[in-house]
Amino acid sequence: MQPGVLDVNLKMRSFLAAAMVSALAFAPASAQDTSKQGGTLVVSLPGGTPRSLNPAVQSGVATGFPGTQLFTAPLRYDEDWTPQPYLAKSWEVSKDGLKITLNLQENATFHDGKPITSEDVAFSVEVIKEYHPFKSMFEPVTSVDTPDEHTAVLNLSRPHPALMLAMSGQLMPIIPKHIYGDGQDPKSHPRNNQDVVGSGPFKLVEFKPGEHVILERYEGYWEEGLPYLDRIVARIINDSSARAIALQNGEIQMSTFENEPTILSRLKDVEGLTLTTDGYGGVGPIDWLAMNTTRGPLQDVKVRQAIAYAIDKNFMLKALLRGTATEARTGIHPDSPFYNPDVNTYEFDLDKANALLDEAGYPMKDGNRFELNIELPGFPGYKPQTEYVKAALAKAGITVNVRSHPDFPSWAEAVGSMQFDLSFDSVYNWGDPVIGVNRTYLSSNIDKGVWSNTQGYSNARVDELLNMAATENDPEKRKALYKEFQEIVADEVPIYVTNAVPMHTIYSDKVGNPPLGIWASSSPYDKVYLKD
Amino acid sequence: MSDETLHIPVEKARSPLAEAWEMFRQNHLAMVGLAILILIVLGAIFGPLIYPTDPYEMVWAPFSPPGQEGFLLGTDYLGRDILSQLLNGARVTLIIGLAAAFVTVAIGITVGALAGFYGGAIEEALMRFTEFFQVLPTLLFSMVIVSLFGASLPMITFAIGVVSWTAVARITRAEFLRIREMDYVMASRASGAPGMRLMFTVILPNSLPPIIVQSALMVGSAILFEAGLSFLGLTDPNIVSWGQIIGSNRQYILEAGYTVTIPGLAIFVTVLAISLVGDGLNDALNPKLRKR
Repeated sequence: MQPGVLDVNLKMRSFLAAAMVSALAFAPASAQDTSKQGGTLVVSLPGGTPRSLNPAVQSGVATGFPGTQLFTAPLRYDEDWTPQPYLAKSWEVSKDGLKITLNLQENATFHDGKPITSEDVAFSVEVIKEYHPFKSMFEPVTSVDTPDEHTAVLNLSRPHPALMLAMSGQLMPIIPKHIYGDGQDPKSHPRNNQDVVGSGPFKLVEFKPGEHVILERYEGYWEEGLPYLDRIVARIINDSSARAIALQNGEIQMSTFENEPTILSRLKDVEGLTLTTDGYGGVGPIDWLAMNTTRGPLQDVKVRQAIAYAIDKNFMLKALLRGTATEARTGIHPDSPFYNPDVNTYEFDLDKANALLDEAGYPMKDGNRFELNIELPGFPGYKPQTEYVKAALAKAGITVNVRSHPDFPSWAEAVGSMQFDLSFDSVYNWGDPVIGVNRTYLSSNIDKGVWSNTQGYSNARVDELLNMAATENDPEKRKALYKEFQEIVADEVPIYVTNAVPMHTIYSDKVGNPPLGIWASSSPYDKVYLKD
Repeated sequence: MSDETLHIPVEKARSPLAEAWEMFRQNHLAMVGLAILILIVLGAIFGPLIYPTDPYEMVWAPFSPPGQEGFLLGTDYLGRDILSQLLNGARVTLIIGLAAAFVTVAIGITVGALAGFYGGAIEEALMRFTEFFQVLPTLLFSMVIVSLFGASLPMITFAIGVVSWTAVARITRAEFLRIREMDYVMASRASGAPGMRLMFTVILPNSLPPIIVQSALMVGSAILFEAGLSFLGLTDPNIVSWGQIIGSNRQYILEAGYTVTIPGLAIFVTVLAISLVGDGLNDALNPKLRKR
């Protein structure tokens, strides 16, 4: 194979006549669905340049999009949170919940033609367990048995219902043992970004950091007739206004993880474009105001409640986020089946806030009670909220000093080392609460860097509930456990959750089957097609 | 006529300052600029006292257009009073402008004077040093300083000053080169005046006119510089400056253009006034343009 030569040829043709060429090539092959076959889909790559294309060692939505096209996972999820067969054509969970058997597709191959076997599944689990940042995903998996080539059995030390979601999307890519098992560090393996041998519906043509990732239909994909698209060009456009313009003039046909209110309101009425918030339940991004419960007045729960009362969530939703976002009340995303909306909501009430602060022993002196710092995140989008909190808390006599951070690492250092009072933050659920929610509340996860329990929050009952829910296989019982958990953390407000991040998928009318499942663009695009 | 002595009209000797003022006064544009500038300075000093609304307080619904509901210049995206922000911001903006110009002039004069006075290797070294700063992209360099050391008011002032002193240094050096060969300097040197004294009491006062003009213009460009940095978000979020008002409202430019137009106009008018005054000073202080 000479990817370079092939690449140049394809490039020249595809931009000019991709539709025509592909129509000719595939029209006879699938007679009844000619309109779905072929074409080049141009999208924007969410989250900028991915650090790695291998989701086994790298989290984040930038890796998620190319990663899920390049690598298959055992399962996929539909919009109703129901698991569907993918690489595993069927699966069984043993009664005690300690064994999960996956029956793999028999004709599935890697992009170099070698068959995908249970050995590769076992190897992938091993790599993910060791190198993926989400340790809780596969932590209870003790071993993977491979009774035959197409059967893999995951043995668990305890029931672990979160594993079902962790076997889908970008969380469990099946990577080739014959490539990554060569002894090199998988985290920095050279084949993570170049000459990737994947297992998914699309193979890598070219990855140019800062420019694009180009993917091409894998002819040897196990499911006949799929994927529909010939090619996906994922352009890396870091500026949101530039993406909006590209969408408007049809340069790109779809963009995911768009959440800037001004951009959304600008594109809302453009003809030929659809905006939707569907598809982000699994990723579960929420915005919140984190409060460091180990410092100064914030140690007092009354002070934290007073802050929640002094902040007008409606104002934030309507004026700052312009109605693009939905309200969230707990650390679990509102689209999750475990979400419990019946918790203390802290309706805006300045008198109550002032009364609570008086009660807590911080009387008003010359219009001032005490001072707090708020860290302004080094990533864009939280300036209005931060300035709002400064103005809103001033009315309750709390002087808030804004500390701005020039970049992400500087902010992450301040919050990650718990050297902060208040800060807005945006944290993702990543499917099951065990993966993305426990880390924020478990007392065993205090002070483990950014996006851990940086609030220093510790409550024995919360620990107990979360640990019980993590091993409870009965969905109804789990739900009840999470319900109580959400009531407690809403009362004690170590974080004041404001809203679901208004993540939107924006797509042109030409795109069929846009990714509206629970993983948004971190799901396979094998069934996405272009309409004529 | 016989009892009268011969009357030769002798012009009364006037101080150079008065003479310059005379020249300045004849420049109408410069006078207009000065008037505007005085108004702005008065507004900055007394404005917040006369109009005590807190610039951070949310006083009304967001995006209330100018003139309605009793808010002369409307409210911003959080419902804060823009007039109050403008008045309070004027202080910060002017202080940054003046302080940064002061830093510029201090560095510039020191480097230029040493280079021009001593010549030789010292001059070589200092001028190469100046050139090094001259070729640095100024906005980028100041962005680096501010992001590295934090966006506090003194750091922003320092960052602006440290990237824009080169022009002053070059002008000072040129003046020193010219003046140090003049007779009165020779005379002073011959009578044993030490180097420092020669530099700062003999040569410097005589080389001041072009430096004054340059520093006046510096104030204007420092204000623009600060606005640029604030626009990019490199600003102390706990102070209001005009650039910062523009920066935080720029997202809403399409639906509430006035939130950025008003502070923008304020910057424009101020910088224009400073330029006009600088121009007038140039005319007034440049001996070649003087009517003799």
